[in-house]
Amino acid sequence: MNRLSSLKWRLRISGGLALVTAALLAATSACVSGADTKPDQDAKPGAKTEKKTAKKAKLSGAELYAVNCNRCHPERYATEWTAAQWKTLMLHMRVRANLPAKQAKAILKYLQEDAGN
Amino acid sequence: MKKRSLIVSAVAAGCALGVALPRQAWAAVSDEDFNALKSMVQKLGDQVQKLEQVHEQDQQVHQQDQQKIQQLQQQVGETQQIATNAVQKAEAAAQLQPVHALPPGAGATHNFQLAGDAETVFGRIQGQHSAFAQADFAPIFLYRANDNILFEAGFDFLLSNNAPTAPGTAYGFDLSFATIDYLVNDYMTFVAGNMLLPLGTYSERSAGWLNKIPDNPLPRGLLPGTGLGAQLRGAVPIGDQGQMLTYSAYGVNGPSSVDGTGNSGSLDLGGNVGVLSGATSYPRQYGYGLTGTTFSTLGNLNSNPSGGGRLGWFIPWKPHYDLEVGVSGQSGQWNNLGEQWSAVVLDAALHVSPYVEIKGEYINTWVDTADLGGIRPNGWWVQAGYKLSGLNLDFPLINNVELVGRYDRSDDGLVPGNTKTERYTAGFVYYFSNTLLFEGDYEWLHSVGPASNIFPNNEMLFQVSYGF
Repeated sequence: MNRLSSLKWRLRISGGLALVTAALLAATSACVSGADTKPDQDAKPGAKTEKKTAKKAKLSGAELYAVNCNRCHPERYATEWTAAQWKTLMLHMRVRANLPAKQAKAILKYLQEDAGN
Repeated sequence: MKKRSLIVSAVAAGCALGVALPRQAWAAVSDEDFNALKSMVQKLGDQVQKLEQVHEQDQQVHQQDQQKIQQLQQQVGETQQIATNAVQKAEAAAQLQPVHALPPGAGATHNFQLAGDAETVFGRIQGQHSAFAQADFAPIFLYRANDNILFEAGFDFLLSNNAPTAPGTAYGFDLSFATIDYLVNDYMTFVAGNMLLPLGTYSERSAGWLNKIPDNPLPRGLLPGTGLGAQLRGAVPIGDQGQMLTYSAYGVNGPSSVDGTGNSGSLDLGGNVGVLSGATSYPRQYGYGLTGTTFSTLGNLNSNPSGGGRLGWFIPWKPHYDLEVGVSGQSGQWNNLGEQWSAVVLDAALHVSPYVEIKGEYINTWVDTADLGGIRPNGWWVQAGYKLSGLNLDFPLINNVELVGRYDRSDDGLVPGNTKTERYTAGFVYYFSNTLLFEGDYEWLHSVGPASNIFPNNEMLFQVSYGF
């Protein structure tokens, strides 16, 4: 009886997780493709080009720092640590905050540029 | 050399001329001319002598140069020999090199770093005298072995007041987490050890100076905070505007039973390393985390690991404007009777400008028990904060204040006779700096049910936090 009950819960949780995962992936795909392909009928052609160009502008290390770091803790100043210490701290934060590698490297570069001695 | 030859030739020519001249000519030379000639010959002789001295000096210099050249040639030979030996040694050493070569690039590959936080709490619980409730020091040791390997360990040294149940103070030492992290590639990290579990986001973001309210939301007590095992985690960026999907999947020993039975009161959410000696004295609501340092056994009650994971989606639309949603869960056998403990957590966090933050979690757990059958402890919490600097008032002190509020509730699921608790919290955070915070709040708590006495009455808390 207990084993049947356990199996039931396992199936429920597994099914739930699978459904949510599928929904997330579908939503993400729709969002990504929508951002690239959705026509902007109200906008003028020139404005459309500018908008597209603006959208494609890659976020800088400073912008990625502002996007990611402040959502969990108050921002830390670059001068608080040395370049070597930032390297260790960013490795820690990359794991803890699940930061993508490229973003973590861009943020590290930004912090190391003004790091303390 | 040419000068010398010319002079010698001139002298010789003079002599020859003297001998060859006819007697009449000889006889015709006056004493005056003879003396002049004699003087000239003497001068020429002096010059020849001087030139010979210069020549001797030149020869000495030449000999010294030759000696130096010989020495240099000898040194060149020795250097060539050393270089030849070095090449031979390098070739021999290359054959003994480990599989993983040393990473390229400048700078030290190893680094040791200390981070963490410290807190002091002052509290007043309704019906009790006020007191400094606890002091906490929570260092995190970070050791970077190279660009891909990090060891991190978080400790918690806690001094707390035993009142009102006992005199004196209690001192606690807790290994909050200790993991080895290996960055497999840009999208995956392998983590092994005592891990903060990604059930929701609270466990990984609950350090004293990160949490804007001094205590934890009520339903977090329904979940294990840590797990001993291994994990794969990472993120996949979507576009180049900061959006990403995050994931984690792990296997841990999981919750256990403090006495080996499957009764509802014996669930030990911190039971990752076997049966904990004396842990029956800890109420289930406080039973997460490693509650002591003495273990009666390192064996698990069963050989089935508890598996779980989290999927998250982070959507920023500009700096300080973002939404993060996630779903996580864990399931596994918790006793030696084959009974299951499972949990699902939904989490969300929203930032609208640098001033507004709203976040929360919904937690649902399922526990198969031997005495009550299947029970469903659950709860949820939501917390909001607003930084007054967003009002653009010309008061420096006001600009350092953030107002916070929270609502949380939990249900222990012990049907029949479950205990339901809800709490309202209103407070503030004053930022002396980006790392030194002063927090204060008042909590209105209402609990109904047999276990309601374990919860405190209304209370007022103040906390000084420092993150380093």
